[in-house]
Amino acid sequence: MKVPIAWLRDYVALPEDNDEIVARLTALGFPVDEVIERPQLTNVVAGRIAKVAPHPNADRLVLCTIDTGESEQLHIATAATNVAEGQIVPVARIGAQLAGGLTIAPRKMRGVDSQGMLCSAEELGLPGEWFEDGIMQLDYAMDPGTDVVERFRLTDPVLEVDVTPNRPDALSMIGLARELAASFGTELHEPGMLVKYEDGPEDARVTIETLDCKRFVFQRIHGLRVRPAHAWMRVRLALAGQRPINNVVDVSNFVMLEMGQPLHFFDFEKVAGGHLIVRDARDGESFTTLDDQDRTLDSRMIVIADEEGPTSLAGIMGGLRSEVSETTTDVLVEAANWTGPRIRRASLALKLRTEASGRFEKSLPLALADIGAARAARLLEQEGGGVRMPRSGGRGVPDPTPVKLRAGEVERLLGFAVSDDEIERGLTALGFGVRRTDDGFSVTAPYWRNDIAMAADLVEEIARVVGYDRVQAETPTVAPQDLESAEFDRETQLATTMAGLGYTEAISLSLQPAAVANAWRSNGIAVDDVVEIVNPLSEDQRFMRFSLAPALLEFAARDRAVRPYRAFELGHVFTDARPDPHETVQLTALHAGGESAFGRLKSDVLALVRRVTGAGAHVERGTFPSLHPGKTAALRVGERIVGYVGVVDPRLAHVYDVADTTALATLFVEAFPPRSVPHYVAPSKFPPLDRDLAVVVPLDVLAGDLVDAAKSEPLVRSATVFDEYRGPQVGEGKKSLALRIVLQSSDATLTDDDADAAMARIIATLRERFGAVPRGAASTA
Amino acid sequence: MTMIGMSELEANLAALTARFDAAVANASDGRALDEVRVAFLGRSGEVTGVRRGIGNLPPAERPSAGKVINAAVEAMEAKLTEAAAGIDRAALERSLGDTIDVTFPGPPATIGALHPVRQIGIDVARYFTRHGFAVVLGPEIETDANNFDALNIPPDHPAREGLDSFYLRPDLLLRTHTSPMQVRSMRQHGPPIAIIVPGKAYRRDAVDARHLYMFHQVEGLMVGRGIHFGHLKGMLVGMCRELFGPSADVRFRPSFFPFTEPSAEIDVKCPACEGRGGECRTCGGSGWIEIGGSGMVHPNVLRSVGYDPDDVSGWAFGCGLERIAMKRYDIDDIRAFVENQPSFAEGLS
Repeated sequence: MKVPIAWLRDYVALPEDNDEIVARLTALGFPVDEVIERPQLTNVVAGRIAKVAPHPNADRLVLCTIDTGESEQLHIATAATNVAEGQIVPVARIGAQLAGGLTIAPRKMRGVDSQGMLCSAEELGLPGEWFEDGIMQLDYAMDPGTDVVERFRLTDPVLEVDVTPNRPDALSMIGLARELAASFGTELHEPGMLVKYEDGPEDARVTIETLDCKRFVFQRIHGLRVRPAHAWMRVRLALAGQRPINNVVDVSNFVMLEMGQPLHFFDFEKVAGGHLIVRDARDGESFTTLDDQDRTLDSRMIVIADEEGPTSLAGIMGGLRSEVSETTTDVLVEAANWTGPRIRRASLALKLRTEASGRFEKSLPLALADIGAARAARLLEQEGGGVRMPRSGGRGVPDPTPVKLRAGEVERLLGFAVSDDEIERGLTALGFGVRRTDDGFSVTAPYWRNDIAMAADLVEEIARVVGYDRVQAETPTVAPQDLESAEFDRETQLATTMAGLGYTEAISLSLQPAAVANAWRSNGIAVDDVVEIVNPLSEDQRFMRFSLAPALLEFAARDRAVRPYRAFELGHVFTDARPDPHETVQLTALHAGGESAFGRLKSDVLALVRRVTGAGAHVERGTFPSLHPGKTAALRVGERIVGYVGVVDPRLAHVYDVADTTALATLFVEAFPPRSVPHYVAPSKFPPLDRDLAVVVPLDVLAGDLVDAAKSEPLVRSATVFDEYRGPQVGEGKKSLALRIVLQSSDATLTDDDADAAMARIIATLRERFGAVPRGAASTA
Repeated sequence: MTMIGMSELEANLAALTARFDAAVANASDGRALDEVRVAFLGRSGEVTGVRRGIGNLPPAERPSAGKVINAAVEAMEAKLTEAAAGIDRAALERSLGDTIDVTFPGPPATIGALHPVRQIGIDVARYFTRHGFAVVLGPEIETDANNFDALNIPPDHPAREGLDSFYLRPDLLLRTHTSPMQVRSMRQHGPPIAIIVPGKAYRRDAVDARHLYMFHQVEGLMVGRGIHFGHLKGMLVGMCRELFGPSADVRFRPSFFPFTEPSAEIDVKCPACEGRGGECRTCGGSGWIEIGGSGMVHPNVLRSVGYDPDDVSGWAFGCGLERIAMKRYDIDDIRAFVENQPSFAEGLS
């Protein structure tokens, strides 16, 4: 909300230092988003136009004689056409500074001395298009010589204040002034609301047909003459960002900004039958709002109709038919209260948000309606209106329910003591009724606060008024608890280990277009049902990711200059299922470029699994969507498959435009077994013996299976495959695999005979299981 | 065969030793020294020739001649050892003069990097776990009951209009904050409880330099007897010192959240200008930066999980991790966090 500091000063004495006001608002919970500085203006006074004479040398200019309260009158030439004798206008004297950096110097205008300048609103830093063409008109009652800049405080900054949704009462000058008065410990001057009521016939009627109209105060004011409002009101409104219209309409806007209660004024002569009916709109009903837009309504909205149909859109905007016009003399003031969410939904449905709806949607206090009507009556009375008694429909304003504040509650929640006197003083300053009881206080909220329901709410009020800075930092002692951090610890270990292995962590957006799953499916790659967002912001965000691979493949393609490229992501993936969507935690890693991407990635994820589970994973053939069906390894720990590593499916490599050697691994984090504690195996005191063995096997025999089989010999300490040969020496359909076998006993030094016997057993096993023929044997046979 | 005398043998030996000494002195490296060894002490070397002469001596002199030759051989071997050591020493001395181009690039290290959001989550968790907090994680798909109702956000609250949240079904949505984990944890575990929850949250915001519809938060919750606002401040000051350095400070400003009362915005003294403000780009001149919301857990929230608000009290906070990272690393466009340019995580790790 735009808050001119000048306007706040009407109700409360504030420090001259504007920064102090800004700091205090912030400390009260009303942060200032922006301080809008005003132009520097000096030496502008009110002047009465004593005489207007033609300019001797120019048809387009007139010469004004101006009385500024000094003994010497000023002679000022102007091109403005709206000047007349008797007007009070702003006069920039010689030396004056005006908006836009203009400085007034003595000068001749077409041969005649001009001793200053008559000012337009724009020259005073006000939006020119909101004011009269030509010279700004001040009030006739203003004394010549009055310092205009000081009177209107035209150089005070305007604040953009952020008001939290629980405090619609503070969407008003009086609301913020009241907070500042409580905080600075100064007095609040409430605006006048007393009027003299006239008797008259009860000729306005209101029928309320919806419970969402909680209160409806209405009041007739007649005998008005529509004209521009007083300068002070127009300046206030303009500084607050509200365009002045005329003296009647401006009162409704002024009261909304001043008191926080939106009002609507009907031209009473245009209310058919003098009867307003507050009801739900009918589906398809149409009507023209006062911004001249035809609106088609539905039952989400509330209308105020007369006997001819809708004439106002409740809580949002009035109707064109009953709008106050130049000829209006008699208005019906409406000060209503609506169910907030109802107004918000109507406003959303119509895509029409106004100053009024923005306040009503936050559910205003009931009593504010009566206050708003009373204040409007007072201001319209000053415009010459005759005021009838206000009447009301809907709910009465209930007495506030006292809230109990136990002794010690403030300290229990805030951690510092506030004396009873301080509590009483603080709450009283904010308008609360405070009564001491045996065990604390009984507190009643003021009429403008409907956000106070329990002791905690009062504690916040006390904290605000004594200042949140009183909270003292204290490190708590945490009691023992059973909650574990196991999942977080595992994810942290996975991520830090991957980073240590040379992979860079990515975080990609979880929502994606349909095209991602479609590209997989249309290439024959299975994708489970994907989870759909029913209200995405765009089609690009309609589906939840089902895999972490697409993003990594895209990054790898984009960053093709970086090779080898190693990246991983650890996050949630989603598939649709009944009854509820399925959410799992996965780690996907990608290795592109470099020598043997698959081999590197496989070694790295095996190291990762080993590090995180304490157990090595067993590698076996497997298949997994996104991976080449013949080039994929499943990683098994115990009975569980914990992930897959493989070469990217060539069809996906084509889709994402990455090399078909790119390797991908996906680990299922929740499938990881709890970390097992590895047992210590003391190194043997006896020397190991190395033996190399080359065997010829059919092409489909897996190196891993040979190694597993070799390890079934008890003396084998380790077995690894270190070479593969294919070619004429081993024949078609065969390959030779070279194994390095380390033999060692834990209780004796092995002899060559022992080793030979062990190797013979291994060869027999390999021959039996895989048809393996030792390479040497094959060549000599 | 002519008989020779002992004196003649000694003279031969002396001459040989003299030649040996000269040869050793001339040997400038290990190889030359080996040649000297072979020439004099080798199987067919000069000493062997002299030794053969023993057979020509009268038998009575032969033992002493052997001794003399052995002594000479020992002396020569000692000289060879000494000379070899000298050559090694000289080579070491010379190698001290060698240089390499230390700026010549080595092969690239295979070290990766954590995403800065993960790093900050870990840093925050380290601080809280040091103080006895548990770190819990939860699902990103939540029920509206956990995300809203249990957190004192009533059905007609604007946040539930469908404008701010991504819905999967009327009763299921992507969590809009990590706060539903307060509810899940408190329902699972009675008071006292002290947890933090790092994780993703989603809000239906259009993506721009300051907004992503997916972001990360860390939630904190502590409930027990006698837990108050000052404890919240204490933990947050400590957390900010962990993140921004030892001079970090925290201030609270009143605010409004449905699930806390009293509520406070958390401001951290700007790490760039240390609170001086002025022209500081990081804090926009205010000297403080807002990192999240906090407050005392609303009595209605405590009731919704079966805690007694008259018996226990507690606090909660939620901070945006990207927001913290932007201030910590001086990042001015939040989209950088999900673009994953190769330089991003590496440059910040």
